[in-house]
Amino acid sequence: MDNASAQPDSDPQADTLRRAAIDRSVKGPVLFLFLNSAFWLLASTVLGVLAAVKSFAPEFLDECPAMTFGRMQPAHLNALIYGWGIQAGLGVMLWLMARRSGQELRGGKALMIIAAVFWNITVTVGVFSILSGGNTSLEWLEMPEFTWPVLLICFLVFAWPMVRMFARAFRPEGFMVSTWYVLGACFWFPWLFITANVCLHCLPGLGALGAGISSWYVQGLLLLFFVPVGVGAAYYFIPKITGQPVASYQLAQLGFWLLAALAGWTGFQRYLGGPLPAWMVSVSSMTGVLLLIPVGVVALNHHLTTLGKHHLVKVSPTLRFIFFGAIFYPVAGVILAVLSNFWSGLGLEFSHAWYGYQVVTIYGFFSMCVFGAIYYIVPRLAGCEWLSVRLIRNHFWFSVYGVGTIVITSLLAGIQQGGNQMDAARWDQSWLPVVLDARPYLVARAVAWALITWSNIWFLIHLMLMVAGLGRRGTTPTLLPAEEHDHPTDSAIPHGANA
Amino acid sequence: MSDSSSHPDTTDLDRMHSAARREKADMAPAKAPAPMWIIFLGFIVAVVGGGQLGHLTGGYKFESSNPYAGVLAPDPRPMGDGAAVAMGPFEKAMKGGAGSYAVCGGCHQGNGGGLPGQFPPLAGSDWVKGGTERLVRIVLNGLAGPVTVSGQNFNNVMPGQGAMSDQDLANALTYIRNTWGNEGTMVTKEMVAKVREELGSRMTPWSEAELAEFADKNCPGEIPDGPGATVTAEAPAEAK
Repeated sequence: MDNASAQPDSDPQADTLRRAAIDRSVKGPVLFLFLNSAFWLLASTVLGVLAAVKSFAPEFLDECPAMTFGRMQPAHLNALIYGWGIQAGLGVMLWLMARRSGQELRGGKALMIIAAVFWNITVTVGVFSILSGGNTSLEWLEMPEFTWPVLLICFLVFAWPMVRMFARAFRPEGFMVSTWYVLGACFWFPWLFITANVCLHCLPGLGALGAGISSWYVQGLLLLFFVPVGVGAAYYFIPKITGQPVASYQLAQLGFWLLAALAGWTGFQRYLGGPLPAWMVSVSSMTGVLLLIPVGVVALNHHLTTLGKHHLVKVSPTLRFIFFGAIFYPVAGVILAVLSNFWSGLGLEFSHAWYGYQVVTIYGFFSMCVFGAIYYIVPRLAGCEWLSVRLIRNHFWFSVYGVGTIVITSLLAGIQQGGNQMDAARWDQSWLPVVLDARPYLVARAVAWALITWSNIWFLIHLMLMVAGLGRRGTTPTLLPAEEHDHPTDSAIPHGANA
Repeated sequence: MSDSSSHPDTTDLDRMHSAARREKADMAPAKAPAPMWIIFLGFIVAVVGGGQLGHLTGGYKFESSNPYAGVLAPDPRPMGDGAAVAMGPFEKAMKGGAGSYAVCGGCHQGNGGGLPGQFPPLAGSDWVKGGTERLVRIVLNGLAGPVTVSGQNFNNVMPGQGAMSDQDLANALTYIRNTWGNEGTMVTKEMVAKVREELGSRMTPWSEAELAEFADKNCPGEIPDGPGATVTAEAPAEAK
């Protein structure tokens, strides 16, 4: 091995050993983050089912205060965001940054594990205090006030080594679009988190502006953490699986810089016509529409990179998840534009449509990309292969149908709700019929979250077996079998090259 | 795909590194330029996005939360001292009259001083402070020919303002009778309506001689209680 590492990097064997060494160096923290985040994902989907049930059947379990909708829904979203999203995102970011920088993780592994333990303890305390009534009533910051400095420090323990890796990066290929996004997320999350928490917890008497800052944080977290991690993963794995380079350097740059320049201006359009200075709302509306440009540019780039290799979507679990995540990205962008502008946004304001937008971004886009990354990363870290093709397919199809149902029904419910609220004939009537009209959609939402829960039970079990080293021993990857009579040319491709 | 069979450490590393070895190599991005059509679509999106600005920004003022007006409209509610007291009929007439006076101010000037030799003054004028009937007749049908106001001679034509509503004319007359140091009773909407009815379809302007008989005649009609009911009404501060 020493002999091999001494050779120049152009030697494929040495490069393989180097990549394997990098994988070993991040194994502990990354697997710890993935495993815990998968637990939280399952918890949040169960809470999602219960919250959806409570929203159409409030009498269900109504003797227990923790089971009220006002506690279930924030607990569901906080578990989804802090338990699953940011935690799993950090794992993917760490592995991606180490791989693309060509750097082993040198020190701080123990500190990272400690930070990850504290992150999970804090989120647990936070979610339980939401359930027991200690809700700060700030959207996505419902956990008690003391949690945010802890979460921030834990995040920085991960972010700092990533920034150092980027600074020392050595890659012969040059431009690294995926690490740009990862680096961006390392800086953007602390910026958003500090600004929102300091403003909302430490500045008294914000009045209506507090609501604006809160929705700015929600939008920022979606667009400046979940989006960069998901897009960064897609930019890494699509070329990796298809074996084609990222189609256009120019489009990649355009997509990154426009996102960086525009995303921080959004959020206030949540309150179209609200008691905020009108220009703030209008500027947010404008950026909500303008974001279609970076979103479309990235989607086009991913499409051009995949072109001609679509048969691999069927074969490779990683590409299959990332491909659908990359499709949900422009879908989320279009939904945001529809919600943001004055012409269509006024009718959808404060309706179920915004929940649909949040779910399509976090689960449809971000989580699908992260699942794809996990299916790629874990065999390299755990030293064994995924056990079951059926479990992977089960995970994929239930997730796609579940999230698709939630998004479509939430949008339809939002259109109906908004139409009813704007209907002049109903202005002198009670709002209750409007609420009751949305019930079928909420039933569908509960069923959809149940489908997603089902898929994630098996994902968690599969992942636990992998982390325990009980995966399949072998040198070939676990690939989804191509359907019969499908692509006779597939046999010409080396089997292992697709995962 | 490296050719691992020829390498010395194949056996012990075979399984451990198989995942890393079977990977495809990382590649630098290709140099395909951004297609023209996406730049074109980007321009369309930018135009639609820019449509959210303009008149929807409330004039980039921190005070305006109304997205539909680029200019701040004056606040119609009573402000400052005494804002808690509801406006009486006289205050309403004065506020409305300050707006209606814009029609008159073009000639008689904002300070009610008129223009020497051309337009007679309203401030301190006996025509204004005297009987209301003469005033109402002038604003309805106009005044032509030589007149003497405050000792000065004028020879000009004032067009009638009969197109304005009774309320607006009454407000304007109340306003000029109680501004710039003038003090006078209110002119009500009903008074204007009554004179208008009496005059019927008359369109020709009055002359000084014709109006002489109305010099001290007040229009009959009830005046609401309050500051405008007596001649000693306090002159309010000039409306903003």
